Amino acid sequence: MKLKSVFISVLCVLTALTGCRQDGGGSKGRVAVVISTLNNPWFVVLGESAAQYARELGYEAVLFDSQNNPSKEAEHFDNILSSGYKAILFNPTDADGSTVNAKAAMAKGVPVFCMDREINEPGAAVTQILSDNYSGCIALGEYFVETVGREANYVEILGLVGDNNTWARSRGFHSVVDCFEGLHMLAQQNADFDQNKAMEVMETMMQANPDIQAVFCGNDAMAMGASQAILAAGKSGRIKVFGFDGSDDAVGAVRDGRLAATAMQFPKTMARTAAQFADRYLSGEHDLPRKIPVAVELVNPENVSHFGNFGRRD
Amino acid sequence: MNGKIRSFFAKPVVKPLAALLLMAVAMTFLSDKFATADNIFNVLRQVSVNLCISVGMTMVILTGGIDLSVGSILALSGAVAAGLTRNGLAVGGVFVGFTFWGGILAALLTGAILGAFNGLMVTRFKVPPFVATLGMMTIARGLTMLYTGGFPITGLSNAFRFLGTGWFLGVPMPVWVAAVIILFFAFYMKKTPTGRYIYAIGGNQRASLLSGIRVDRIILLVYTLAGVLSAVAGLLVTARLDSAQPNAGAGYELDAIAAVVIGGTSLSGGRGSIAGTVVGALIIGILNNGLVLLDVSPFWQQVIKGFVILGAVIIDKFSSKNQY
Repeated sequence: MKLKSVFISVLCVLTALTGCRQDGGGSKGRVAVVISTLNNPWFVVLGESAAQYARELGYEAVLFDSQNNPSKEAEHFDNILSSGYKAILFNPTDADGSTVNAKAAMAKGVPVFCMDREINEPGAAVTQILSDNYSGCIALGEYFVETVGREANYVEILGLVGDNNTWARSRGFHSVVDCFEGLHMLAQQNADFDQNKAMEVMETMMQANPDIQAVFCGNDAMAMGASQAILAAGKSGRIKVFGFDGSDDAVGAVRDGRLAATAMQFPKTMARTAAQFADRYLSGEHDLPRKIPVAVELVNPENVSHFGNFGRRD
Repeated sequence: MNGKIRSFFAKPVVKPLAALLLMAVAMTFLSDKFATADNIFNVLRQVSVNLCISVGMTMVILTGGIDLSVGSILALSGAVAAGLTRNGLAVGGVFVGFTFWGGILAALLTGAILGAFNGLMVTRFKVPPFVATLGMMTIARGLTMLYTGGFPITGLSNAFRFLGTGWFLGVPMPVWVAAVIILFFAFYMKKTPTGRYIYAIGGNQRASLLSGIRVDRIILLVYTLAGVLSAVAGLLVTARLDSAQPNAGAGYELDAIAAVVIGGTSLSGGRGSIAGTVVGALIIGILNNGLVLLDVSPFWQQVIKGFVILGAVIIDKFSSKNQY
């Protein structure tokens, strides 16, 4: 009796689960989209557009979330390689840690196409479509000097101190700003790309340094948190906030003047390029470029009307 | 008189309190920005979220349990409040709008339901608390992602913003919320029979059962309360940020557990207090604030925090060894 009810409930759960499956697409085979994390809207856009473009090209697309964990990612790759996927659109969790996974796939004849983040070994992917964090932050740094001036105090909020994008952005920014002796960084703290943490860190940094004119944040979520802290402290307009990513709320904030500037990365462009390259490769075109840098564009109050919805409007 | 003083110093909350004062004094010397009214209010406001969660966590740990799902419940409740007040709810073609209070109620209800689910898993299905709440941690995070689609819900009402950033009688609103919760539950644990039963269950579950305490019911209640208090914390975080983040509250369970343990509550249950937890949360808050005020490198901050947690527990263990 008891066994029967257990059996029935398991059956019910399984039936219910089929309703949760991601909807498939055409019949050219299955493509896996492996994304480092879906905890951040930017990556959700990257992953969902990659799946969407793959479906438009006639593939079935399935989305995998590595939860920022290389070993979770390795498990996904094991499953993908044992279940007949044609290609992998890949957003690695880590430049070095993900190499093994990508190589294993390539060795089994499943082509890998990297999006946004790089893998530190050229042969481990057919094509790497990369967001140029470093150059994007050089542009941001130049605009920073232009708007804040050559004599100012500022603070920096880093993302995750163990993440290579964090440092690519920080180094790009400092490669410009550190050339000016009048620009003093009074504090440099991390907030793990998290809005709430950034707000708290900003509150405290404003306490420690009453005289700051600007804050550079490693992503837009943190920039929004910092701007919230500045608003609550009644210092709006006196401290300029700079972000990075081009998320919708940040672009809106540049429009309202709450952020001084952000930098637009193009997740949809990268996703589309990766899907197209996978399609070309699978149709027999094996001579594809190894690396395609996708420029990061500065978004400031003058040009903000051209941006939105994770890309250019026009 | 002498006996009174001695019994005061024998109280378990005294040692963490001494550590707190020591840290506050040290910080005052290290940074002239620390002991300013603005900064103290910053610390209190930042601590209020952890305080709400930690009060619930204290009760759970006193019964000998643990709740790892608080951060995820926080995120889901915050998202529910933000989503419902902003977009309403459409069920089968019927649209229901939500006011500020409707949203708050829905969030608290969400917390209560998920907390009660934890409690049922522990009491009815005998799942160990660590596993039951680990499951809920993932479930609630997944539900948050499903509900928000992975995107933040922004643009809340003025009432919400007041809850997060407003002031009342010269004190920030989140601090009021945390203070009311602390006072209520400190009284509840000390003066009501249910409060005493919670201690009894953690001390010896079997003896409690034999002496007629309805153990299952109390444990169910404790997990439900922990869920509700996480929801309150979720409302505060959402209101402060003026947006509900799908990844809000990740890792908060560890801060809460740290606050409880630093405050002298035994992880095996039965011994500890809400007052101790408040002190523990303040220690973590001052540490977070102080390390940033002094611009300590982010790499070192984690090392230092870890040692402070260990140090607090070691001091507590050695000075009360006859209790172990």
